[in-house]
Amino acid sequence: MKIKGDSDQPLIQESMEVPIRKKSKISGSSATGWLFASPWVIGLILFYAFPLFSSIYFSFTTYSILSPGEFVGLGNYRQLMSDGLFWKSIYNTIYFAIFFVPLSIIIGVALAMMLNMRVKGMAVYRTIFFLPTLVPHVALAVLWMWLLNPGFGLVNGALDAIGITGPNWLGSVTWSKPSLILMSLWAIGQPVIIYLAGLGDIPQELYEAADVDGASWLQKIFTVTLPLLTPVIFFNLVMGAIGAFQQFTLPYTMTQGQGTPDNSLTFYVMYLYDNAFKYFKMGYASAMAWILFIVIMLLTAVIFLSSKRWVHYQGK
Amino acid sequence: MNNSIFHKSMVGFCLAIVLVLAACSSDEESGGDAGGENTVQFWHSMTDTSGEAVEYVIEVFEEENPDINIEATYVANQGEGQNEKLLTAIAGGNPPDVAYFDRFEVAAWAAQGSLEPLTEMAEEDGISQDNYYDFAWEEVSYEGDLYGIPTTTDSRLLFYNKDHFEEVGLDPENPPTTIEELEEAAEKLTIKEGNRFERIGFIPWFGQGWFYGWGWSFGGDFYDVETGEVTADDPKNVEALEWITEFGQKYGVEDIAGFTDSQGSGAMDPFVSGQISMKIDGNFGVAALEKFAPDLNYGVTPIPTPTGDNFKTWSGGWSVVIPKGANNQEGAWEFLKFFGSEEGQRIFSETSRDFSVIESVNQSLGYDEDPIFSEFINILPDSNSRPVMTEGSLYWNALADAVEASTRGNGTPKENLEEVTQQVTEALGE
Repeated sequence: MKIKGDSDQPLIQESMEVPIRKKSKISGSSATGWLFASPWVIGLILFYAFPLFSSIYFSFTTYSILSPGEFVGLGNYRQLMSDGLFWKSIYNTIYFAIFFVPLSIIIGVALAMMLNMRVKGMAVYRTIFFLPTLVPHVALAVLWMWLLNPGFGLVNGALDAIGITGPNWLGSVTWSKPSLILMSLWAIGQPVIIYLAGLGDIPQELYEAADVDGASWLQKIFTVTLPLLTPVIFFNLVMGAIGAFQQFTLPYTMTQGQGTPDNSLTFYVMYLYDNAFKYFKMGYASAMAWILFIVIMLLTAVIFLSSKRWVHYQGK
Repeated sequence: MNNSIFHKSMVGFCLAIVLVLAACSSDEESGGDAGGENTVQFWHSMTDTSGEAVEYVIEVFEEENPDINIEATYVANQGEGQNEKLLTAIAGGNPPDVAYFDRFEVAAWAAQGSLEPLTEMAEEDGISQDNYYDFAWEEVSYEGDLYGIPTTTDSRLLFYNKDHFEEVGLDPENPPTTIEELEEAAEKLTIKEGNRFERIGFIPWFGQGWFYGWGWSFGGDFYDVETGEVTADDPKNVEALEWITEFGQKYGVEDIAGFTDSQGSGAMDPFVSGQISMKIDGNFGVAALEKFAPDLNYGVTPIPTPTGDNFKTWSGGWSVVIPKGANNQEGAWEFLKFFGSEEGQRIFSETSRDFSVIESVNQSLGYDEDPIFSEFINILPDSNSRPVMTEGSLYWNALADAVEASTRGNGTPKENLEEVTQQVTEALGE
């Protein structure tokens, strides 16, 4: 189920450490290097690579955690193709990703630019926008359920005050996903920090040169800031897309795993989880996990290929 | 650094790993017998009054069996659809000796071979179906074998607020018995302003208004044990769902959702705050009313049916099971036996206010004389249990989905129930 994040770090560390040691020392000590890396390597193989690859096998069986099950070939995959809820969960997940990822980039960059201005007390503002990221997902879910409550929620209360009757956010099939996108955007601190770092990297000379050329504020954003921020946007796009496809904790806690109303909040990984741990269909769930993996791989590949056209690295 | 040093360090490292692994495995072994010869590890999810009740049961059991020591561990939500911890413990070969378990899931787990069969031990000790309500016993049996000892049960009825009835000119001593009367009463009791309910008469799916109850009340059925046929799309069930859908459309499904989303449980239950006049709830709802609204003037009555007779309800409840591979099965069985005995049942039921699975215990605790509880007790002998099958969870979720989809106009009731039948039948066929 976990395809992103945690795995990247050990991979990077390992591949960096080993060649460096190889270069600087004689051959016997490369083994010493391996020795020091062995906790990582063993852990990686035992607890990551082994389960990962065995899940390929399990996806061809009716494995149920408690019993090994039978080999059914492509049976699970074929069955998925005719599973209505499977397609619905894909629709929900893509809907979420299509709206959430671009919005998080636009809002994230805009926020980062504002937080990059030279104003007194900026550290305080930056902290304020980062704070929501520290709220655990479960607490976040409960908090927003109150805010979006149609009866006494703050959001509808505020809308009422300006004469708009707010929708029944989380109880309506139409509004449940937009509500979730809104909630997710609230905890945008992490990418903002990365954008801020990217903004700090843009050389001041370029702005000075633009000033000399008489560029307006808007022109500077579109010709200097944004192009030079594209490597960071690229990174956040990849990570954001992967994260969006793995949406789980928020909707799962909010709906007690039910995906209500009318399965409009049943996301792909939620359905995968139910199959694995509630219906004793770990084989079926493994098949789902591999489909998700392939989809994410393809998507990432597409983003990578397209990046040559729109990502500009400094000094190139 | 030369080779010999490397070899030494490698050997040392390997030794260390072996030691660590050895330590792990010996830990595991001793974990089972820790704290003396006869410890029974018991995982349960009970808090509050039932938590106290189970402590009493354990206390008395340990007094009577001084050589057995019960080590109770609270595991959040175990049995309420979140059994991941127990599942992995069994798969990992290190389960507790006894687990408190929702009877509803016993068949599915038994079919996976994850529970120890108790048939022989029960026969030896003369424990049989005669001791318990039929439905409770059936729920812990799977393909002729016994897999658990039932401990509690419940039933579902219509709760109605007598003061509200009087206020709108309905007879509080004559609650609705037919669906038609229920609809009329609901209409009179509802006060709606714009899309907000000041008060709503009734919501079919609120509280314990699950579809199983409605299907049975309309005369439908869900599963034929003999033939293994799934009958979610029984014409009577379709009628029931059509009625629910019409009801939802009449009052506005989203407006109702807006209402229910604004409510809580416990002290914030809309029945407590007088925002809903009638609801379907179980006997466990009575305890909350006693606690949060002791002066509430309410009554309970069987769930109305189209004809006004043949009242139906359904019962769930809990059991104690021995997970596959438990270390101390003999000690575990002693505890199961005690929990399910008249003595254990009386201790538990008296404190927790949950109904016992033994009729005589319920009588001796006076439940059949209490004006409210007696209604629940009287209907128990005719109660249904949810279908005893390996895909019980799937069936439950699929029915809940069908109700949601139909009330929201996503497919007709007939189509949605046909889909449930097909889905569950396919899953059973695997």
